Amino acid sequence: MDLKSFQQDGVTVFQVDGEINISTSPELKKFFEKQPAKKVVVDLERVTYIDSSGLATLVEMLKKTKSQGGGLGLAAMSEKVKSLFEITKLDKLFSISQNKQEAVSKVK
Amino acid sequence: MIESVTKKKFLVPSDLSEVQKVSAKVLAFLKPLDLSQAFLFDVRLCLEEALINAIKYGNSLRKDLKVALEVGYDDTQVQIAVEDQGKGFDPKELKICTSEENLLRTRGRGVYLIHQLMDRAKYNSRGNRLVMVKFLGK
Repeated sequence: MDLKSFQQDGVTVFQVDGEINISTSPELKKFFEKQPAKKVVVDLERVTYIDSSGLATLVEMLKKTKSQGGGLGLAAMSEKVKSLFEITKLDKLFSISQNKQEAVSKVK
Repeated sequence: MIESVTKKKFLVPSDLSEVQKVSAKVLAFLKPLDLSQAFLFDVRLCLEEALINAIKYGNSLRKDLKVALEVGYDDTQVQIAVEDQGKGFDPKELKICTSEENLLRTRGRGVYLIHQLMDRAKYNSRGNRLVMVKFLGK
């Protein structure tokens, strides 16, 4: 998994490339915790696979930003990844956008 | 297990770093079926969730315990059995992860996903062996 973060319109965008699984989830969590941000978008366009530990990590990230009075949006996930959010009803919890720009606009 | 045309058994050490390795071997074993990416995604996810639960919660990450994995297929289905050496658990005790009050919880989605993505998923009465089936052509 490759991780990158940058600022876009006052929002911290985390770009994830690869799989968010039991082995890589702790890496994403650490990367996020090193850069505390109130307004966050996680760009999932390049995420090819996610398991329940990956979903749990995103839930933890959401809880953290909300507890700080901020917000977290998810962007550009594949149909397959999106279906897991729908099955688990996490699509009710997260703001899910088609693309990064839309997600940034919603969060900022 | 079904009387599959093709079967393979694996003995998996209780080490989470083994999950991806075994899963890759299983997907390679299923290659002759020429399955769709979506089918393989579901099988991989359910297999890995079952292995993680068996290693982490069943065998409590004890290196001296193993997880027995059997994979088989015929021209109608793929069947996967995962058995740990733990005392077992009652799947009914799991919280319903999709109810509103549990959405923020970080555990319990693995078993739920298995039940949603496979066509059949059943634990034995002790709760240490899970047999999952996914029908081909779905």
